[in-house]
Amino acid sequence: MTALLEVRDLRVTIGSTAAVRGTAITVNKGETHCLVGESGCGKSISALSVMGLLPRGSKRETTMLRFAGEEIGKYSERQMERLRGDRMAMIFQEPMTSLNPAYTVGSQMTEVLRRHRGTPRAQAVDRAAELLARVGITAPGLRLGQFPHQLSGGLRQRVMIAMALMCDPELLIADEPTTALDVTVQAQILRLLAGLQKDFGLGILLITHDLGVVARIADRVSVMYAGEVVESAPTASLFAAPEHPYTRGLLTCVPVPGKVKRDEPLGSIPGVVPRITPGFAGCGFRDRCSEAHAACSGTIPRQTVSDGHELLCTLAPGWGGKAAA
Amino acid sequence: MSAPAIEVRGLRREFRVRQGMFAPPKQVIAVDDVSFAVPAGSVLGVVGESGCGKSTLARLILGLLEPTAGDVLVDGQRLGGMDRRARARLIQPVFQDPFASLNPKRRIGDIVAMPLIAQGNIGRAEIGRRVAEALDRVGLSRDQGLRFPAQLSGGQRQRVAIARALVLRPRIVVCDEPTSALDVSVQAQILNLLAELRRDLGLTYLFISHNLAVVEHIASEVAVMYLGRIVERTESEALFAAPRHPYTRALLASVLTPEPGLGVPDVGLGDIMPDPANIPTGCRFHPRCPAALTRCSSEVPRTTQDGVGLVECHLVGQAA
Ligand SMILES: Nc1ncnc2c1ncn2[C@@H]1O[C@H](COP(=O)(O)OP(=O)(O)OP(=O)(O)O)[C@@H](O)[C@H]1O
Ligand SMILES: Nc1ncnc2c1ncn2[C@@H]1O[C@H](COP(=O)(O)OP(=O)(O)O)[C@@H](O)[C@H]1O
Ligand code: SF4
Ligand code: SF4
Ligand SMILES: [Mg+2]
Ligand SMILES: [Mg+2]
Repeated sequence: MTALLEVRDLRVTIGSTAAVRGTAITVNKGETHCLVGESGCGKSISALSVMGLLPRGSKRETTMLRFAGEEIGKYSERQMERLRGDRMAMIFQEPMTSLNPAYTVGSQMTEVLRRHRGTPRAQAVDRAAELLARVGITAPGLRLGQFPHQLSGGLRQRVMIAMALMCDPELLIADEPTTALDVTVQAQILRLLAGLQKDFGLGILLITHDLGVVARIADRVSVMYAGEVVESAPTASLFAAPEHPYTRGLLTCVPVPGKVKRDEPLGSIPGVVPRITPGFAGCGFRDRCSEAHAACSGTIPRQTVSDGHELLCTLAPGWGGKAAA
Repeated sequence: MSAPAIEVRGLRREFRVRQGMFAPPKQVIAVDDVSFAVPAGSVLGVVGESGCGKSTLARLILGLLEPTAGDVLVDGQRLGGMDRRARARLIQPVFQDPFASLNPKRRIGDIVAMPLIAQGNIGRAEIGRRVAEALDRVGLSRDQGLRFPAQLSGGQRQRVAIARALVLRPRIVVCDEPTSALDVSVQAQILNLLAELRRDLGLTYLFISHNLAVVEHIASEVAVMYLGRIVERTESEALFAAPRHPYTRALLASVLTPEPGLGVPDVGLGDIMPDPANIPTGCRFHPRCPAALTRCSSEVPRTTQDGVGLVECHLVGQAA
């Protein structure tokens, strides 16, 4: 497999918050890699780091930030601008953050292609209409002439996706693209993303807090906690044999119809996510971990459980006998 | 005894909304002729897409909103005309966003004491005792009672909202998306707490959520709402095992359980979204229904109530 995006030892501090602490992410061509974790664990900041869109006052360090074989960590803002929306595109949870309320869908979509490729207007309009149809919009002509506020949330998200595809990107980064949508629309949008990936051979980095979404769409999963990837594995291995105590805990918290009887408690993780300041040492999960011991305040080893399955924890893989289901 | 904890009859609520500055006002029917009863001690889950009328239904049942038509009975008494303080002793809300519903300038203990103070006849010592008891019930310490909402996490704030709802020892709690703003690990803590409180205190819940797996876990019966109407209402196990309304089927199909390898299902709904200001003729679900018949666009389906539950669809209960 060819690596499309390779990030190593990514660290981001924002003021007194160590938002990302040594994250590694690889997205292969034609693969969906899901970053999953609870709010504040650093998913969005990791994604924004790749796009060069970090909030002001952030400090980013990394030993490798390679896109399509090229190191982009030292790119100027100018060079990044040329990549964004062209070879790598991003969609956000709230489409209105990237749609301009003052322009029609059509003019925003064609603008992307005209800016990056200098495509003539008529041709760009055709491409926009074609993509709107491809993302399941039944009256593309009508939608091209409408303003974003005239569309439902689901339609706006489809427009965002179509717009992201205008220049045929190689990498699509989607930050919680369905979190604000109804479950019915979420299923439609995710199915659409899966289909597009097959047809266009896209690499997708999908950020979500929903393990159901991960299970259904990811080839590979990285579980983030307090700014670190604590476990990363092919999707099937992660769900069949989760190793990190946080991953195991998280899986028991998710209600699944028919799994836990009514009035029997769901699994839960006590406590809350800590705020991590620069200089923090040891495992970020240790205040909530039932397995915590003295070594957990020291340096935590990165271990290989099996081919492609990595674990950041002091426990030996396979701890506690059979992994929790 | 044994009046239903909640009973609504022919409940309807309209709103007038303007869609543009010069557009004439339109009528939105948020809740459209809804009737049901919730037996004491049970949990009725309400599910449906955004804008289908779930919160409006909740606010009508809480007496926070006047019905355009119909009645709400709580513990056998009509809500209209009931004294506010008496109502507060019977039924209490827990909303989605604990931050928006807690006064940021007040200490947690004072927030929880508000419903007791509003009663006007409870002494200070008694108030202190009951606040401490309520905080303890929801797993908050005395020390946390002295803090302000901003100093607590989202889950702790939701515990405060639950403590405030319980401090008058109501019979019924209306929960509108109580865990939707929370992370899954915290959601599990709050769901476990709500289940434990229901058991220990014999509470009745109306539980609204857009998360069907959450509803399946907590509700004994489920009502599915679509554009202001309840289109299916069935005991929880039966609904999840054998949904009968095409909309219920689509909703269940969209539940993504954490089972790898299953892929994302085709829910078969198309891209037309429901608009409560333009309710379709015939069956209101027909523009999106994958099973629609010709008559669905003109004939309103009758309500079928049988041994299994209630359904409103031409495909169910009537000889074709
Ligand atoms: N105060 C109001 N004024 C005008 N229209 C209203 C008002 N409250 C609700 N509505 C409308 O009534 C319909 C039902 O709204 P409601 O808030 O009950 O939906 P909901 O099912 O709770 O949705 P959500 O899942 O988004 O919370 C919507 O079309 C909404 O815009
Ligand atoms: N603009 C910002 N300014 C300051 N801190 C921020 C900003 N954005 C994010 N953070 C902090 O960085 C950490 C990671 O945030 P984020 O990547 O947004 O989390 P996630 O997307 O996983 O919910 C959090 O502690 C958050 O508070
Ligand atoms: S390193 Fe220690 S505290 Fe952290 S998850 Fe592993 S066992 Fe728990
Ligand atoms: S009445 Fe017709 S349109 Fe409505 S749900 Fe049944 S089959 Fe579908
Ligand atoms: Mg985020
Ligand atoms: Mg609502």
